[in-house]
Amino acid sequence: MKITVEIPSALRRFTDGTAKIECEGADLPGLLNDLGTKHPSITQHLRDESGKVRKFINIYINDEDVRFLGGDAYQFRDGDQVLIVPSIAGG
Amino acid sequence: MTRILAENDSLYNKGYSVLQPMPHDIPERYSRQVLFQGIGAEGQQKLAQARVAIVGCGATGSAVAALLARSGVGTLRIIDRDYVELSNLQRQTLFDESDAAESLPKAIAAAHRIAAFNSEIVVEPKVADLVPANVGELLADTHLILDGTDNFETRYLVNDYAVKHSRAWIYAAAVGSYGVTLNVLPGQTACLACIFPDSPTGMVETCETAGILNSAVNLIASIEATEALKFLVGAHDQIRKTLLSCDVWHNDRAEIAASHPREGCRACGKRDFVHLAGEGRPHITLCGRNSVQIHEQHRPIDFVELSARLQPHGTVRHNDFVLKFWREPHEITLFPDGRAIIKGTTDTAVARSLYARFVGS
Repeated sequence: MKITVEIPSALRRFTDGTAKIECEGADLPGLLNDLGTKHPSITQHLRDESGKVRKFINIYINDEDVRFLGGDAYQFRDGDQVLIVPSIAGG
Repeated sequence: MTRILAENDSLYNKGYSVLQPMPHDIPERYSRQVLFQGIGAEGQQKLAQARVAIVGCGATGSAVAALLARSGVGTLRIIDRDYVELSNLQRQTLFDESDAAESLPKAIAAAHRIAAFNSEIVVEPKVADLVPANVGELLADTHLILDGTDNFETRYLVNDYAVKHSRAWIYAAAVGSYGVTLNVLPGQTACLACIFPDSPTGMVETCETAGILNSAVNLIASIEATEALKFLVGAHDQIRKTLLSCDVWHNDRAEIAASHPREGCRACGKRDFVHLAGEGRPHITLCGRNSVQIHEQHRPIDFVELSARLQPHGTVRHNDFVLKFWREPHEITLFPDGRAIIKGTTDTAVARSLYARFVGS
Protein backbone atom coordinates (compact mmCIF):
# COMPACT_ATOMS: atom_id res chain seq x y z
CA MET A 1 0.00 0.00 0.00
CA LYS A 2 1.58 3.26 -1.15
CA ILE A 3 0.91 6.47 0.70
CA THR A 4 2.41 9.76 -0.44
CA VAL A 5 3.69 11.98 2.34
CA GLU A 6 4.24 15.62 1.46
CA ILE A 7 6.99 17.27 3.51
CA PRO A 8 6.73 21.04 4.04
CA SER A 9 9.83 22.97 3.07
CA ALA A 10 10.41 23.92 6.71
CA LEU A 11 11.16 20.24 7.43
CA ARG A 12 12.82 19.20 4.17
CA ARG A 13 16.30 19.55 5.46
CA PHE A 14 15.54 16.44 7.46
CA THR A 15 14.55 14.54 4.30
CA ASP A 16 17.57 15.48 2.17
CA GLY A 17 15.41 18.06 0.41
CA THR A 18 12.82 15.54 -0.76
CA ALA A 19 9.31 16.99 -1.00
CA LYS A 20 7.22 13.87 -1.55
CA ILE A 21 8.02 10.50 -0.05
CA GLU A 22 6.29 7.22 -0.75
CA CYS A 23 5.70 5.43 2.54
CA GLU A 24 3.89 2.40 3.81
CA GLY A 25 1.89 1.76 6.94
CA ALA A 26 -1.49 0.50 8.04
CA ASP A 27 -2.05 3.42 10.38
CA LEU A 28 -0.41 6.70 11.39
CA PRO A 29 2.12 5.22 13.85
CA GLY A 30 3.11 2.68 11.20
CA LEU A 31 3.44 5.36 8.56
CA LEU A 32 5.59 7.57 10.81
CA ASN A 33 7.75 4.56 11.66
CA ASP A 34 8.35 3.96 7.97
CA LEU A 35 9.09 7.63 7.34
CA GLY A 36 11.47 7.59 10.30
CA THR A 37 13.26 4.54 8.91
CA LYS A 38 13.78 6.31 5.60
CA HIS A 39 14.75 9.67 7.18
CA PRO A 40 15.66 9.14 10.84
CA SER A 41 16.38 12.79 11.66
CA ILE A 42 12.81 13.95 10.94
CA THR A 43 11.29 11.77 13.67
CA GLN A 44 12.17 14.02 16.60
CA HIS A 45 10.50 16.93 14.82
CA LEU A 46 7.24 15.04 14.33
CA ARG A 47 6.90 12.90 17.48
CA ASP A 48 7.59 13.38 21.15
CA GLU A 49 9.55 11.02 23.36
CA SER A 50 6.54 8.73 23.79
CA GLY A 51 5.97 8.52 20.04
CA LYS A 52 2.92 10.76 19.93
CA VAL A 53 2.62 13.33 17.16
CA ARG A 54 3.73 16.69 18.52
CA LYS A 55 0.85 19.08 19.06
CA PHE A 56 2.35 21.77 16.87
CA ILE A 57 2.48 19.37 13.94
CA ASN A 58 -0.71 18.89 11.95
CA ILE A 59 -1.18 15.88 9.73
CA TYR A 60 -3.80 15.97 7.04
CA ILE A 61 -5.00 12.96 5.10
CA ASN A 62 -6.60 13.91 1.80
CA ASP A 63 -7.06 17.45 3.20
CA GLU A 64 -8.76 16.32 6.43
CA ASP A 65 -7.09 16.68 9.82
CA VAL A 66 -6.19 13.18 11.00
CA ARG A 67 -7.55 14.09 14.46
CA PHE A 68 -11.02 14.10 12.89
CA LEU A 69 -10.43 10.79 11.14
CA GLY A 70 -9.74 8.82 14.28
CA GLY A 71 -6.12 9.81 14.81
CA ASP A 72 -3.86 6.82 15.35
CA ALA A 73 -6.80 4.47 14.66
CA TYR A 74 -7.29 5.69 11.08
CA GLN A 75 -6.63 2.87 8.60
CA PHE A 76 -4.85 4.07 5.49
CA ARG A 77 -6.12 3.29 2.03
CA ASP A 78 -3.97 2.87 -1.02
CA GLY A 79 -3.26 6.22 -2.63
CA ASP A 80 -3.92 8.34 0.45
CA GLN A 81 -2.18 11.72 0.34
CA VAL A 82 -0.65 12.87 3.60
CA LEU A 83 0.32 16.51 4.19
CA ILE A 84 2.36 17.65 7.19
CA VAL A 85 1.89 21.26 8.33
CA PRO A 86 4.07 22.55 11.18
CA SER A 87 3.25 25.71 13.07
CA ILE A 88 5.91 28.32 12.48
CA ALA A 89 6.71 31.41 14.48
CA GLY A 90 8.80 33.86 12.47
CA GLY A 91 7.51 37.16 11.32
CA MET B 1 -13.24 63.79 -10.33
CA THR B 2 -14.60 61.52 -12.97
CA ARG B 3 -12.74 58.69 -14.51
CA ILE B 4 -13.97 57.70 -17.92
CA LEU B 5 -12.72 54.52 -19.47
CA ALA B 6 -12.71 54.01 -23.20
CA GLU B 7 -14.01 50.75 -24.64
CA ASN B 8 -10.52 49.76 -25.68
CA ASP B 9 -9.17 50.34 -22.19
CA SER B 10 -8.34 46.94 -20.78
CA LEU B 11 -10.01 47.81 -17.49
CA TYR B 12 -13.30 48.50 -19.27
CA ASN B 13 -13.78 44.87 -20.12
CA LYS B 14 -12.94 43.57 -16.70
CA GLY B 15 -16.05 44.85 -15.04
CA TYR B 16 -14.40 47.66 -13.12
CA SER B 17 -16.68 50.50 -12.25
CA VAL B 18 -16.73 52.99 -15.06
CA LEU B 19 -18.21 56.42 -15.40
CA GLN B 20 -18.52 56.60 -11.64
CA PRO B 21 -17.88 60.07 -10.33
CA MET B 22 -15.32 60.03 -7.54
CA PRO B 23 -17.11 61.41 -4.46
CA HIS B 24 -15.65 64.69 -3.30
CA ASP B 25 -14.81 63.30 0.12
CA ILE B 26 -12.57 60.57 -1.32
CA PRO B 27 -9.02 61.90 -1.58
CA GLU B 28 -7.32 61.66 -4.95
CA ARG B 29 -4.62 59.47 -3.42
CA TYR B 30 -7.11 56.57 -3.12
CA SER B 31 -8.64 57.01 -6.58
CA ARG B 32 -7.07 53.90 -8.12
CA GLN B 33 -8.14 51.75 -5.18
CA VAL B 34 -11.69 53.11 -5.25
CA LEU B 35 -11.90 52.15 -8.93
CA PHE B 36 -11.40 48.55 -7.91
CA GLN B 37 -14.90 47.12 -7.71
CA GLY B 38 -14.29 45.26 -4.47
CA ILE B 39 -13.54 48.51 -2.63
CA GLY B 40 -15.48 51.37 -4.25
CA ALA B 41 -16.28 54.66 -2.56
CA GLU B 42 -18.30 52.95 0.15
CA GLY B 43 -15.48 50.58 1.00
CA GLN B 44 -12.98 53.43 1.07
CA GLN B 45 -15.12 55.25 3.60
CA LYS B 46 -15.27 52.13 5.74
CA LEU B 47 -11.49 51.89 5.62
CA ALA B 48 -11.20 55.51 6.74
CA GLN B 49 -13.31 54.73 9.80
CA ALA B 50 -11.49 51.50 10.66
CA ARG B 51 -9.16 50.96 13.60
CA VAL B 52 -6.67 48.14 13.24
CA ALA B 53 -4.10 46.86 15.72
CA ILE B 54 -0.86 45.44 14.37
CA VAL B 55 0.87 43.32 16.98
CA GLY B 56 4.57 43.23 16.22
CA CYS B 57 6.28 45.40 13.64
CA GLY B 58 9.01 43.25 12.15
CA ALA B 59 8.87 42.11 8.54
CA THR B 60 5.22 41.06 8.50
CA GLY B 61 4.11 43.98 10.62
CA SER B 62 6.05 46.49 8.52
CA ALA B 63 4.52 45.23 5.33
CA VAL B 64 0.91 45.09 6.54
CA ALA B 65 1.27 48.49 8.22
CA ALA B 66 2.63 50.07 5.04
CA LEU B 67 0.00 48.49 2.80
CA LEU B 68 -2.93 49.37 5.05
CA ALA B 69 -1.61 52.89 5.68
CA ARG B 70 -1.33 53.48 1.94
CA SER B 71 -4.81 51.97 1.51
CA GLY B 72 -6.25 54.59 3.84
CA VAL B 73 -7.13 52.58 6.95
CA GLY B 74 -8.01 55.42 9.31
CA THR B 75 -6.23 54.35 12.49
CA LEU B 76 -3.34 51.93 12.88
CA ARG B 77 -2.18 51.01 16.35
CA ILE B 78 1.32 49.58 16.01
CA ILE B 79 2.48 47.60 19.03
CA ASP B 80 6.11 46.50 19.18
CA ARG B 81 8.56 45.88 22.01
CA ASP B 82 11.71 45.85 19.91
CA TYR B 83 14.16 48.32 18.37
CA VAL B 84 15.57 48.56 14.85
CA GLU B 85 18.80 46.69 14.10
CA LEU B 86 20.90 46.47 10.95
CA SER B 87 19.93 42.82 10.44
CA ASN B 88 16.27 43.90 10.16
CA LEU B 89 16.78 46.01 7.05
CA GLN B 90 16.94 43.03 4.68
CA ARG B 91 13.18 42.48 5.06
CA GLN B 92 11.57 45.02 7.39
CA THR B 93 10.57 47.58 4.82
CA LEU B 94 9.50 50.47 7.05
CA PHE B 95 13.00 51.04 8.47
CA ASP B 96 16.25 52.52 7.22
CA GLU B 97 19.89 52.75 8.28
CA SER B 98 19.38 55.84 10.41
CA ASP B 99 16.69 54.01 12.44
CA ALA B 100 19.16 51.19 13.09
CA ALA B 101 21.99 53.60 13.94
CA GLU B 102 19.75 55.31 16.49
CA SER B 103 18.27 52.04 17.78
CA LEU B 104 14.84 53.57 17.42
CA PRO B 105 11.93 51.54 18.74
CA LYS B 106 10.23 49.92 15.77
CA ALA B 107 6.81 51.34 16.61
CA ILE B 108 8.23 54.88 16.64
CA ALA B 109 10.28 54.41 13.46
CA ALA B 110 7.22 52.92 11.73
CA ALA B 111 5.04 55.87 12.73
CA HIS B 112 7.65 58.33 11.39
CA ARG B 113 7.91 56.53 8.07
CA ILE B 114 4.14 56.17 7.61
CA ALA B 115 3.64 59.87 8.35
CA ALA B 116 6.00 60.63 5.47
CA PHE B 117 3.80 58.87 2.92
CA ASN B 118 0.35 59.23 4.45
CA SER B 119 -0.08 62.03 6.95
CA GLU B 120 -3.87 61.79 6.69
CA ILE B 121 -4.26 58.68 8.81
CA VAL B 122 -3.70 58.23 12.52
CA VAL B 123 -0.86 56.00 13.70
CA GLU B 124 -0.71 55.13 17.37
CA PRO B 125 2.76 53.74 18.14
CA LYS B 126 2.90 51.65 21.31
CA VAL B 127 6.39 50.70 22.47
CA ALA B 128 5.28 47.80 24.60
CA ASP B 129 5.38 44.07 25.05
CA LEU B 130 1.87 42.66 24.68
CA VAL B 131 1.26 40.72 27.89
CA PRO B 132 -1.85 39.58 29.79
CA ALA B 133 -1.72 42.68 31.97
CA ASN B 134 -1.97 45.15 29.08
CA VAL B 135 -3.66 43.18 26.30
CA GLY B 136 -7.10 44.56 27.15
CA GLU B 137 -5.89 48.14 27.05
CA LEU B 138 -3.71 47.81 23.93
CA LEU B 139 -6.25 45.95 21.82
CA ALA B 140 -9.35 47.83 23.02
CA ASP B 141 -11.48 49.71 20.49
CA THR B 142 -10.10 47.97 17.44
CA HIS B 143 -12.07 46.32 14.66
CA LEU B 144 -9.39 43.87 13.63
CA ILE B 145 -6.09 42.56 15.00
CA LEU B 146 -3.24 41.67 12.67
CA ASP B 147 -0.39 39.37 13.59
CA GLY B 148 3.07 40.76 12.95
CA THR B 149 4.75 39.04 15.86
CA ASP B 150 7.54 36.48 15.82
CA ASN B 151 6.47 34.21 18.66
CA PHE B 152 3.64 31.90 19.61
CA GLU B 153 3.29 33.10 23.16
CA THR B 154 1.99 36.45 21.91
CA ARG B 155 -0.12 34.80 19.22
CA TYR B 156 -1.92 32.55 21.71
CA LEU B 157 -2.51 35.57 23.91
CA VAL B 158 -4.01 37.44 20.95
CA ASN B 159 -6.07 34.37 20.03
CA ASP B 160 -7.48 34.07 23.56
CA TYR B 161 -8.30 37.78 23.66
CA ALA B 162 -9.86 37.76 20.18
CA VAL B 163 -11.97 34.66 20.82
CA LYS B 164 -13.14 35.93 24.21
CA HIS B 165 -14.17 39.28 22.75
CA SER B 166 -15.37 37.97 19.36
CA ARG B 167 -12.79 40.08 17.57
CA ALA B 168 -11.45 39.00 14.17
CA TRP B 169 -7.71 38.51 13.81
CA ILE B 170 -5.31 37.18 11.21
CA TYR B 171 -2.38 34.87 11.94
CA ALA B 172 0.63 35.22 9.63
CA ALA B 173 4.11 33.75 10.00
CA ALA B 174 7.10 32.98 7.83
CA VAL B 175 10.42 31.19 8.06
CA GLY B 176 12.90 30.40 5.29
CA SER B 177 10.96 30.59 2.04
CA TYR B 178 7.75 29.37 3.65
CA GLY B 179 4.80 31.30 5.02
CA VAL B 180 1.47 30.43 6.65
CA THR B 181 -1.62 32.50 7.31
CA LEU B 182 -5.08 31.95 8.81
CA ASN B 183 -8.08 34.24 9.20
CA VAL B 184 -9.78 33.79 12.56
CA LEU B 185 -13.41 34.86 12.76
CA PRO B 186 -14.38 33.74 16.28
CA GLY B 187 -17.47 31.56 16.34
CA GLN B 188 -17.42 31.10 12.58
CA THR B 189 -14.04 29.69 11.62
CA ALA B 190 -11.33 27.67 13.32
CA CYS B 191 -9.18 29.63 15.75
CA LEU B 192 -5.42 29.27 16.17
CA ALA B 193 -5.87 26.80 19.03
CA CYS B 194 -8.22 24.68 16.85
CA ILE B 195 -5.48 24.29 14.26
CA PHE B 196 -2.43 24.21 16.56
CA PRO B 197 -3.50 23.19 20.07
CA ASP B 198 0.01 23.77 21.41
CA SER B 199 2.91 25.97 20.49
CA PRO B 200 6.26 24.67 19.23
CA THR B 201 8.74 23.73 21.89
CA GLY B 202 12.04 24.56 20.30
CA MET B 203 12.17 21.73 17.82
CA VAL B 204 11.01 23.46 14.63
CA GLU B 205 12.87 25.80 12.39
CA THR B 206 13.20 29.43 13.38
CA CYS B 207 14.50 32.46 11.54
CA GLU B 208 17.76 31.72 13.32
CA THR B 209 18.23 28.24 11.93
CA ALA B 210 16.54 28.57 8.54
CA GLY B 211 16.94 32.27 7.81
CA ILE B 212 14.18 34.18 6.05
CA LEU B 213 13.60 35.37 2.50
CA ASN B 214 12.14 38.87 2.35
CA SER B 215 9.85 37.83 -0.50
CA ALA B 216 8.33 34.99 1.55
CA VAL B 217 7.42 37.19 4.48
CA ASN B 218 6.22 40.02 2.25
CA LEU B 219 4.02 37.62 0.28
CA ILE B 220 2.35 36.37 3.44
CA ALA B 221 1.97 39.95 4.68
CA SER B 222 0.39 40.99 1.37
CA ILE B 223 -2.14 38.18 1.66
CA GLU B 224 -2.81 39.17 5.27
CA ALA B 225 -3.34 42.81 4.24
CA THR B 226 -5.72 41.81 1.46
CA GLU B 227 -7.79 39.67 3.81
CA ALA B 228 -7.85 42.64 6.21
CA LEU B 229 -9.23 44.88 3.45
CA LYS B 230 -11.94 42.33 2.67
CA PHE B 231 -12.93 42.20 6.31
CA LEU B 232 -12.92 45.96 6.79
CA VAL B 233 -15.02 46.74 3.72
CA GLY B 234 -17.48 43.96 4.62
CA ALA B 235 -16.67 41.59 1.74
CA HIS B 236 -17.13 38.67 4.11
CA ASP B 237 -18.05 36.18 1.40
CA GLN B 238 -14.60 36.71 -0.11
CA ILE B 239 -12.69 36.03 3.10
CA ARG B 240 -10.55 32.90 2.83
CA LYS B 241 -11.52 30.20 5.32
CA THR B 242 -8.47 27.99 5.04
CA LEU B 243 -5.02 27.69 6.54
CA LEU B 244 -2.92 28.77 3.58
CA SER B 245 0.74 27.89 3.23
CA CYS B 246 3.04 29.05 0.43
CA ASP B 247 6.65 28.46 -0.42
CA VAL B 248 8.16 30.99 -2.81
CA TRP B 249 11.36 29.01 -3.38
CA HIS B 250 9.90 25.56 -3.97
CA ASN B 251 6.75 26.86 -5.69
CA ASP B 252 4.40 25.06 -3.30
CA ARG B 253 0.99 26.15 -2.15
CA ALA B 254 -1.41 24.24 0.10
CA GLU B 255 -4.76 25.06 1.67
CA ILE B 256 -6.35 23.22 4.55
CA ALA B 257 -10.00 23.72 5.47
CA ALA B 258 -10.49 25.88 8.55
CA SER B 259 -14.09 26.90 8.03
CA HIS B 260 -15.43 25.56 11.33
CA PRO B 261 -14.29 25.64 14.95
CA ARG B 262 -12.85 22.33 16.15
CA GLU B 263 -15.13 20.59 18.60
CA GLY B 264 -13.62 20.65 22.07
CA CYS B 265 -11.13 23.40 21.24
CA ARG B 266 -9.57 24.75 24.44
CA ALA B 267 -10.09 28.37 23.41
CA CYS B 268 -13.20 28.71 21.24
CA GLY B 269 -14.92 25.54 22.45
CA LYS B 270 -14.26 25.36 26.19
CA ARG B 271 -13.51 29.08 26.50
CA ASP B 272 -10.58 28.28 28.74
CA PHE B 273 -8.38 31.32 28.20
CA VAL B 274 -5.19 30.16 29.87
CA HIS B 275 -3.00 32.65 28.00
CA LEU B 276 -5.12 35.61 29.07
CA ALA B 277 -4.71 34.37 32.62
CA GLY B 278 -0.93 34.40 32.06
CA GLU B 279 -0.49 30.81 33.17
CA GLY B 280 2.97 29.35 32.77
CA ARG B 281 4.31 32.44 31.09
CA PRO B 282 8.04 32.06 30.58
CA HIS B 283 10.61 34.61 29.52
CA ILE B 284 10.74 34.85 25.78
CA THR B 285 13.68 33.89 23.60
CA LEU B 286 13.31 36.10 20.58
CA CYS B 287 13.23 34.75 17.06
CA GLY B 288 16.49 35.17 15.21
CA ARG B 289 18.45 36.19 18.24
CA ASN B 290 20.35 34.73 21.11
CA SER B 291 18.36 36.82 23.58
CA VAL B 292 16.26 36.76 26.68
CA GLN B 293 13.73 39.37 27.62
CA ILE B 294 13.05 40.50 31.19
CA HIS B 295 9.42 41.48 31.45
CA GLU B 296 9.85 44.28 33.94
CA GLN B 297 7.25 47.00 33.58
CA HIS B 298 7.30 48.92 36.81
CA ARG B 299 10.89 50.05 37.15
CA PRO B 300 11.15 53.56 35.68
CA ILE B 301 14.72 54.06 34.50
CA ASP B 302 16.57 57.39 34.49
CA PHE B 303 18.76 56.87 31.43
CA VAL B 304 21.15 59.73 32.24
CA GLU B 305 21.82 58.46 35.72
CA LEU B 306 22.11 54.85 34.70
CA SER B 307 24.45 55.72 31.80
CA ALA B 308 26.80 57.38 34.28
CA ARG B 309 26.65 54.33 36.52
CA LEU B 310 27.36 51.91 33.70
CA GLN B 311 30.25 53.83 32.09
CA PRO B 312 32.99 52.06 34.09
CA HIS B 313 31.59 48.64 33.21
CA GLY B 314 31.35 48.76 29.42
CA THR B 315 30.10 50.82 26.50
CA VAL B 316 26.84 52.63 27.01
CA ARG B 317 24.70 55.03 25.03
CA HIS B 318 21.07 56.08 25.05
CA ASN B 319 18.38 58.23 23.45
CA ASP B 320 14.91 59.10 24.76
CA PHE B 321 13.55 55.67 24.02
CA VAL B 322 16.24 53.14 24.66
CA LEU B 323 19.53 52.59 26.47
CA LYS B 324 22.09 50.13 25.15
CA PHE B 325 24.91 48.69 27.22
CA TRP B 326 27.63 46.43 25.81
CA ARG B 327 29.68 44.23 28.04
CA GLU B 328 31.18 41.28 26.21
CA PRO B 329 29.73 38.85 25.43
CA HIS B 330 26.39 40.45 26.34
CA GLU B 331 24.40 43.42 25.16
CA ILE B 332 21.61 44.85 27.30
CA THR B 333 18.89 47.00 25.77
CA LEU B 334 16.78 48.81 28.33
CA PHE B 335 13.45 50.59 27.89
CA PRO B 336 12.15 53.40 30.10
CA ASP B 337 9.73 51.13 32.01
CA GLY B 338 12.56 48.80 33.02
CA ARG B 339 11.97 46.13 30.39
CA ALA B 340 15.22 44.69 29.06
CA ILE B 341 16.40 42.54 26.18
CA ILE B 342 19.61 40.74 26.99
CA LYS B 343 21.50 39.51 23.97
CA GLY B 344 24.21 36.91 24.13
CA THR B 345 22.44 34.26 26.17
CA THR B 346 19.40 32.04 26.15
CA ASP B 347 19.81 31.25 29.83
CA THR B 348 17.18 33.14 31.83
CA ALA B 349 19.25 32.80 34.98
CA VAL B 350 22.22 34.53 33.33
CA ALA B 351 19.89 37.22 32.02
CA ARG B 352 18.35 37.75 35.44
CA SER B 353 21.79 37.97 36.97
CA LEU B 354 22.99 40.57 34.45
CA TYR B 355 19.84 42.57 35.01
CA ALA B 356 20.24 42.42 38.75
CA ARG B 357 23.90 43.45 38.56
CA PHE B 358 23.56 46.35 36.16
CA VAL B 359 19.99 47.56 36.51
CA GLY B 360 18.64 46.37 39.82
CA SER B 361 16.86 43.49 41.49
